[in-house]
Amino acid sequence: MVESSGGGPAAGKVSESGAATTDWVWQAGPRRYGRVFLTFVRNSLVRAMGFRTNFWLECISSSCWTLMNLFFFKIVFSYTDSIGRDTGWGENEFFVFLGTTWIITSLIQTFIMPNAQEFSELIRTGQLDFALLKPIDTQFLVSFPQIVWSNLANLALGVVLVVYAVVRLVTTSEVPLVVGPVQVGLYLFFIGCGLAILYGVMIAMAATSIWLGRNQTLYTFWFYLTNFYRQPMEIYQQGWVGWTLWGLFTFLVPILLVVNVPARILAEPLRPAVDSWTWVLAGMALTAAIVVLSGSRWVFQAALASYRSASS
Amino acid sequence: MPLIEIEKLSKHYQVYQKQEGLWASVRGLFRREYRQVTALDAIDLQVEKGEFVAFLGPNGAGKTTTLKLLSGVIHPTSGSCRVMGYVPWERSNHYRRRFALVMGQKNQLWWDLPAQESFRLHQHIYQIPTDVFQSTRDELVDLLGLAKLLRQPVRELSLGERMKMELTAALLHRPEILFLDEPTIGLDVVAQHNIQQFLKHYQQTRAITILLTSHYMKDIEALCQRVVIINEGRIQFDGSLAGIVDRFHQERIVSLRLADSTSMDELAAYGRITKLQAPQVQLRIPRAEVPTSLAEILNRFPVEDVSVSDPPLEEIFAHLFSSGHSGGGGNSPREALELGATELRSSGPRDAETESRRGLLREVRR
Repeated sequence: MVESSGGGPAAGKVSESGAATTDWVWQAGPRRYGRVFLTFVRNSLVRAMGFRTNFWLECISSSCWTLMNLFFFKIVFSYTDSIGRDTGWGENEFFVFLGTTWIITSLIQTFIMPNAQEFSELIRTGQLDFALLKPIDTQFLVSFPQIVWSNLANLALGVVLVVYAVVRLVTTSEVPLVVGPVQVGLYLFFIGCGLAILYGVMIAMAATSIWLGRNQTLYTFWFYLTNFYRQPMEIYQQGWVGWTLWGLFTFLVPILLVVNVPARILAEPLRPAVDSWTWVLAGMALTAAIVVLSGSRWVFQAALASYRSASS
Repeated sequence: MPLIEIEKLSKHYQVYQKQEGLWASVRGLFRREYRQVTALDAIDLQVEKGEFVAFLGPNGAGKTTTLKLLSGVIHPTSGSCRVMGYVPWERSNHYRRRFALVMGQKNQLWWDLPAQESFRLHQHIYQIPTDVFQSTRDELVDLLGLAKLLRQPVRELSLGERMKMELTAALLHRPEILFLDEPTIGLDVVAQHNIQQFLKHYQQTRAITILLTSHYMKDIEALCQRVVIINEGRIQFDGSLAGIVDRFHQERIVSLRLADSTSMDELAAYGRITKLQAPQVQLRIPRAEVPTSLAEILNRFPVEDVSVSDPPLEEIFAHLFSSGHSGGGGNSPREALELGATELRSSGPRDAETESRRGLLREVRR
């Protein structure tokens, strides 16, 4: 979020007639970003409260869907002890993975997805005009205004599942898991990296509607993507089809790193220590987060330069 | 130095030409034909601080495109433009905090929330100190009579009320330039009048610069000292409203009521009769001949009442912008402008220009 300075007269200056052009001093500081975001939070809450029944129905239906997901894997683990041979993804390790998926998906659906979709709509209808007029970073302004609070229900479920599975791993595992502040810190940090990757992919895809005119496949595409990142990456490491998908979703569209890295760091499927491969993946996740974020920024700016606005 | 300086500004669009039929659509998936549309064609324009300028022109003339370029929403194809020293499409925050754009056809307030919440968002985006924010908002709310509506969700407001809210939101940061794109579109006469009054008052007290596009002559007559006529991406007239009337209205409308309608036909000697409904008659007399002709008419005919007015502005614009004229008659819009509106039938005199009937009668009879 770089403030543009220079290229024009200083702000808040005195006009030719001698009268102050404004009655206060304009500071293009980063502090207002926090304030604006809090206003988004507040306005979204006020709106959610305005449709209370809808809010609770959404909470319940998405929680039910998520719990059915859990029961499905409960059934899977009644047939097998782990996902793949010698991968270390036993039931509890996998539930850490599953809980992490819920947490990340829920955060994306609460904060990112509604805005990415709305962004496409803003472009199509020409409402993006208003975002471009405001003296604040446009990418920030279109990325966060809508927050769908009901989607946070799954975040709570995810946290509960992760805590439950970690406690089981610490107390009942043959090789007990050791969890301290470092592990938790790294776990949260790489969840952040995962969110950054997904945010970058989504916003860049949404920005392409400036050239394509219409981009209603965004939501469908999101489902394709989530289908791939919901599983430990080991399941792809078999046969040429599997390895191709693995390569594609690790290097080209690095969504396999999103859940795998934090889940591996916390659950340590190959205990007693985090294996070196996990650290390689972690390095890749961090790099991917930086590359995808800056790439999406570039796509966004390029798209805005070609914005032609819809008819009045 | 002018506040706004535009030089040779052009904007072209590539527009996809969709062919009719299924097969053409399938072909369009692979190969598309584009047509270049010129929205603005090398216009030059300068606006000084404190001016109230109207952009007039038919749909698609380039009015809105001009406002979008000035506010930096779109990039031009060529040419240059500086507003308060800034290049608009660089979208500098320092520039963006000093103007506002209001579009009558688009809504920027949060639909499901009271306008008050959108105002607060603006406060934080523009970093308006709370005391300044409150006093500005209260002043605007008071001027526009919105106090009771602040807590109502925007979706439940009428079009006129919503427009007033949009104006309030746009003025909270005390912009120095206001771009208004058809702010009264779709509003009833009362709401239109209210908004005109407000804009007039606000522009005078704050001495801000306003550029307005509108289809309603009433807006322009009520508000603007300067009119810029745009058609097909070019500026065709730039001057005062009175200048348009003087330049293009080569006739005036004389309306008479006669006590005795037997000799009405003889009036044709003085001008062209455009309406004949005994005892009322309306005729058009060349501008220069009005005093002498009128004196003779008053002497020869049993006139009970008389009024002289200019033809309505709508008429001249309808004439200027009608494609039938520029195409069928072989005249370019520019030529049409030179010709003025001499052949059109009147759709009624302009109230604002109607002189006091009795006063005029007295004067002529003297």
